[in-house]
Amino acid sequence: MNSTLKFERTGDWSCQDILFSMVRLDDAERFAIGSSDFKIYEIDFSAEKPERQEFVGEGHTSYVTSMVVANEMVVSGSYDGHLVWWNLSDRQQVRRQQAHDRWIRRVAATPDGTRIVSVADDMQCKVWDAVSGDLISSFTDHPELTPHHYPSMLYALAISADGQLIATGDRVGHVAIWDAERFEKVGEVEAPGMYTWDPKARRHSIGGIRSLAFSPDATKLAVGGIGKIGNIDHLGGPSRLEIFNWADQSEPVLIEDDQKKGLIEQIHWQPDSNAIVAAGGDHKGFINLYDLASAKLSAQSETNGHIHALASDASYALFHTAGHNRMNRFKLSLNE
Amino acid sequence: MSLRSIRSIPSSNLTKLMTRRILTRGSCIACCVLISSLSAGQDLLPPETSIATTIDHYVDARLQEENVEAAPSIDDAAFLRRLSLDLNGRIPTRQELNNFLAMDTATRRQDAIEAFLSQVDFVFHQANEIDLLLLARIREDREWREFLLQAVKDRTSWSNLFTQIMLPEVTHPGETAPGAYLRERVRELDDLTNDTAVLFFGVNISCAKCHDHPLVPDWEQDHYFGMASFFKRTYQTKSKLLAEHFTGDVKFTNVVGEEKQAAFMFLNGQAAEEPKIELSDEKRKNLDEAIQKAKKEDDAKAPEVEFSPREELVRLALEGDSHDFFARNIVNRIWARLIGRGLVTPLDQMHSDNPPSHPALLDWLTRDLKQHDYDLKRLIAGIVGSEVYARSCRWESESAVPEPSLFAVGVVRPLNPRQLALSLQIASTSGDRLPGLDKGEDWEKQRADLENRAARFANQFPIPEDGFQVGTDEALFFSNSQQFEGEFLRTSDDRLVGELKKIEDSVELIQTLVSTVYSRSAQEEEQQAMRTYLESATDDASREDKIQQLVWALLASPEFRFNH
Amino acid sequence: MPRSTANSNRAQHCGAEAHHLSRRSFLGTVGMGTAGVAANMGVIETLTSPVFADELKRNQKSVVLLWLAGGASQLETWDPKPGVETGGPYSAIQTDISGVRISELMPKMSQRLSQHTAIIRSLNTKIADHGGGYQLMDTGRRPEPGVDFPHLGAMIAHELAQQDSKVPDHIEMYTSTEGRRKGTAGFLPARYNPMFLTDSMMPENISRLDSISDADHKQRADFRAMLAQQFNHGLNSPSVSSHNSAFERVRGLMSSDYLFDVEKEPQSMRDHYGPTQFGEQCLIARRLVEAGVPFVKVARAWWDSHGQNFETHRELCADLDHVMSALLDDLQQRGLLDTTLVITLGEFGRTPRINGSLGRDHFASAWSCSLSGCGIKPGTVYGKTDDLGNTVVEGEANAGNLFATIFTALGIDPEKEYMLGSRPVPMADFHCPPIAEVLS
Repeated sequence: MNSTLKFERTGDWSCQDILFSMVRLDDAERFAIGSSDFKIYEIDFSAEKPERQEFVGEGHTSYVTSMVVANEMVVSGSYDGHLVWWNLSDRQQVRRQQAHDRWIRRVAATPDGTRIVSVADDMQCKVWDAVSGDLISSFTDHPELTPHHYPSMLYALAISADGQLIATGDRVGHVAIWDAERFEKVGEVEAPGMYTWDPKARRHSIGGIRSLAFSPDATKLAVGGIGKIGNIDHLGGPSRLEIFNWADQSEPVLIEDDQKKGLIEQIHWQPDSNAIVAAGGDHKGFINLYDLASAKLSAQSETNGHIHALASDASYALFHTAGHNRMNRFKLSLNE
Repeated sequence: MSLRSIRSIPSSNLTKLMTRRILTRGSCIACCVLISSLSAGQDLLPPETSIATTIDHYVDARLQEENVEAAPSIDDAAFLRRLSLDLNGRIPTRQELNNFLAMDTATRRQDAIEAFLSQVDFVFHQANEIDLLLLARIREDREWREFLLQAVKDRTSWSNLFTQIMLPEVTHPGETAPGAYLRERVRELDDLTNDTAVLFFGVNISCAKCHDHPLVPDWEQDHYFGMASFFKRTYQTKSKLLAEHFTGDVKFTNVVGEEKQAAFMFLNGQAAEEPKIELSDEKRKNLDEAIQKAKKEDDAKAPEVEFSPREELVRLALEGDSHDFFARNIVNRIWARLIGRGLVTPLDQMHSDNPPSHPALLDWLTRDLKQHDYDLKRLIAGIVGSEVYARSCRWESESAVPEPSLFAVGVVRPLNPRQLALSLQIASTSGDRLPGLDKGEDWEKQRADLENRAARFANQFPIPEDGFQVGTDEALFFSNSQQFEGEFLRTSDDRLVGELKKIEDSVELIQTLVSTVYSRSAQEEEQQAMRTYLESATDDASREDKIQQLVWALLASPEFRFNH
Repeated sequence: MPRSTANSNRAQHCGAEAHHLSRRSFLGTVGMGTAGVAANMGVIETLTSPVFADELKRNQKSVVLLWLAGGASQLETWDPKPGVETGGPYSAIQTDISGVRISELMPKMSQRLSQHTAIIRSLNTKIADHGGGYQLMDTGRRPEPGVDFPHLGAMIAHELAQQDSKVPDHIEMYTSTEGRRKGTAGFLPARYNPMFLTDSMMPENISRLDSISDADHKQRADFRAMLAQQFNHGLNSPSVSSHNSAFERVRGLMSSDYLFDVEKEPQSMRDHYGPTQFGEQCLIARRLVEAGVPFVKVARAWWDSHGQNFETHRELCADLDHVMSALLDDLQQRGLLDTTLVITLGEFGRTPRINGSLGRDHFASAWSCSLSGCGIKPGTVYGKTDDLGNTVVEGEANAGNLFATIFTALGIDPEKEYMLGSRPVPMADFHCPPIAEVLS
């Protein structure tokens, strides 16, 4: 590993629940976190002992898998197939609506805050008016069944920084790229390495594309998941990152890491496009820094719980993570 | 002197060293022999009596007591077949049978025994049997088999072999082969504990894990967990070597809920004391790290420890005493393998409430084994020289079949997979391709080749357990598989079918067929039946088919399938 | 069902109560030992009275065991607990039994419970390793040194098979390599060992080779039988007898090869079961049962979701839900469900606690199984677990109770005894009554 930069774990908070989602609420350390107890909380990590303040309302009836902030609101998606809008100011629920027939995996917001996009295991990508909640469009390029005849999942979603493109990624490694205005498919890439089907020993599959992120200039698309797994009872495979020039059909840059195994759940591009920070885990959690010039993992740290959510600050040097029974703060600094 | 400092000493000298250790620790083998000779209050036959004579003496004594007449001895040809299966692990070749029948009738059985014991076949078969006992039922391991082959070739004593298997890191540092027994079980303490107790000491104490054994007063929880203690610290390194932690004890909860710590206690109640060694925190930490490293990294060596529970187990097991679990177990198992039923049965229920059928005989054989340095070859040679061994399996008398524990009748035994595969090879090979009793130099290589071919085949067959029953899988395999037909019914010159089809005279053909496959001469009735079958052929092609079918029928018959 | 003090003692020890046998018989010192076992094989055969046998011939009963190898999660199937910390993300759906909900992953079965199926939610079997759990749940009792207990398939085959049957008695399909284990006949005659299908659904060596004509194949077999008969004289060896029995059955087995050929089914039927391997194998199971095979086990491996439990169960439950529904519907349509018992069972269940890889681990303290068809009262749910699913609070049942229930449902007396030498071995373990509530 190139040791110009390193991660330092500067904050470590344990909790009883599993946190699946996290959004930044201010420029300091206030966040909203979505939990396996079906609730959403506000939490301030700058406090001596950060305490949670619950968001109030009917809310969700299953895990809160993903959240975004748009128009002074938090919009959350859940396994219950509902989207819920919450006022940031008073943490009160504003709207709750059935959005998908199955489990919502990810929500995103367009940079101008006017639209919410969601993906779920009904394999649909849906676009909503961020203010009214009205459905604008529903589309898909992802089959409901895997090639092995089993129900598939649509895990991953990304919107480009200019709001022009949407990317959706599924269980079997297919990514579709969409025009965010016309909702037409404008590209696709394949990352079948993210999907392991075991025909012989265990006869089911594991893996899937779990995270997507456009580069700042939207020419590249980073795809995150897990590489080939031998024993699919566990997440015992290398973390896998593929970076595509999505418009042409060239081979992606592939970086796999075996030191800390597991799924890549979150991908953040550094603003200069030279590096990516990704987080995820198996039964533990990792946070990785990838240097794109050398196409190598250049720094890494770990924590005791699988990381599901990642938020960076404006400097892209301070990262907050949330996951299995744990929240952390990592600082990315020069390695002296 | 600890075993650790003698790693450079060839293993064949190990037993001498162990003996010396035992003596210097004050346990006296001679004393123990005296104690065990007083068992059951009987005076044993003198030690200089031959094994065969002793066996016949004690078995006949009980037969007389029960007023039972034994089945007669089998004839010479049948004896040769049985002996060949038991010493060579295969049926005799046709040449071997012919040579044998040409020898002096008065001495030929004993001559055959001596001839077979000196052949490489004995080495292969004995190694196979040890493998079957210790590992092959779970897994094939070529390296381990090579290790066993060498041990048998070297005529390594059973106590010495036990030591090597229990302490591979001491006796064969850096080598993975001897560790296979431990390695296979190291992840499950219960398996390691119970298998060792069953296979090396003849006792199944698994029931005593939960509570003192309900019916056997000998076995208490203390015994089970005492045995487990010897293995608790054993682990495997990344490079597949065995080692021991410096700490680790077995705790258990008894039936009234008290927590107890187990002692390093052997089955006879003797325990080993662990010397109190104070380890500084620093030292402890370093050792822990070294152990973790050894488990994770290929090149990292396991740290040595001051106190080795496994070494203590070997010491306690080999110390002679009146229980003699180690010696009695192997005597009983060898007996059971050759005679078809143990002196103690089941083989893993050697305890005071399950006495042997012939206590004095077991005592005498045990004493004899110990006095002759646990030499299994000698024991085997003795058993096969007895009348008991040569008894017929058929009970033709009108009186009721005698109780099996009297050994009045022989026991039919299924061939194990390798015996079957090898015998199929031999039976289906043209007679001139396989030598007689005089083997020559090439036989070792030829036999090794046969062994390799048999190994591939042997996977098709289950390893027989007690009460073995043949399944329909096997019958279908014999009847319809390409593999069977291709291997054993080929018509080429090197095969039996090829040889037979060149014989014009039906009578000669049938004699050749029966002597090759059944290792005896054809009887009148079956001659007739086979002739009729053969002569129902309409032309040459059809005659070839009939020959193949006859060969099949004999190979697929129980007479071939069993050792009788 | 109240449990006696005797049974509650058993809960702590390795079945001390079950060492309920005479010293002599246990120790084998009556001179029987294993030879004694063998010599008494004849006794086992005659335990089935002629009258009983006739009845069975009229209504051939069968068992299809859907073996959920690896341990399926009861929380993602029959006993969901949505909304609590152990519940996971999936919700529960209303079934066609009032007041009963099962996992949303099993929608098709949710609408069939009242017609076909009883659920048992209160298994507490304590053994949570694959090998031990398999041994326990496939023999119905704890293992004992020196005794080779027969597996469920062999016992069912022994009880229900017709003596002169041309079809196999006991078939097990286990295609995956993980956890692949073969039930055995134990101390019952080898005839009841399974035909074990792994790589191919067509049994190995069931077709005559082209190189021999049918007439010659038969003639050769007859000659072999003649030689075998000659040899057997005066031998008294059950092993040798078993050799002959095995060969005697060859031709009969060969003529049932068509049963394993799924291409003999119309496409509509193949579509009904679906395109997965499990579906195809259950279709074959139906064919076998229809032809009178008393016991078929179809293993669906591998449910051992230590990581990604929810994703894995999404896949596997979809398979189970669809195929089990298809099988039950098909059996009922053909009028076979009244005489066929369909069981779902595994080695154990899965932990309520969700681990760091979003997995669930082995758990034998409170888990579920299901029984459908022959002798079962559909629409019943027996037993309760606590709110989090950690313990059984009502109707605790063990492997012996389950086996007793299975036997009773098939009209077999669970207390009927095999004689092992002079030692009685009941079909279901001692002191394990059947669960009357699920029996019709």
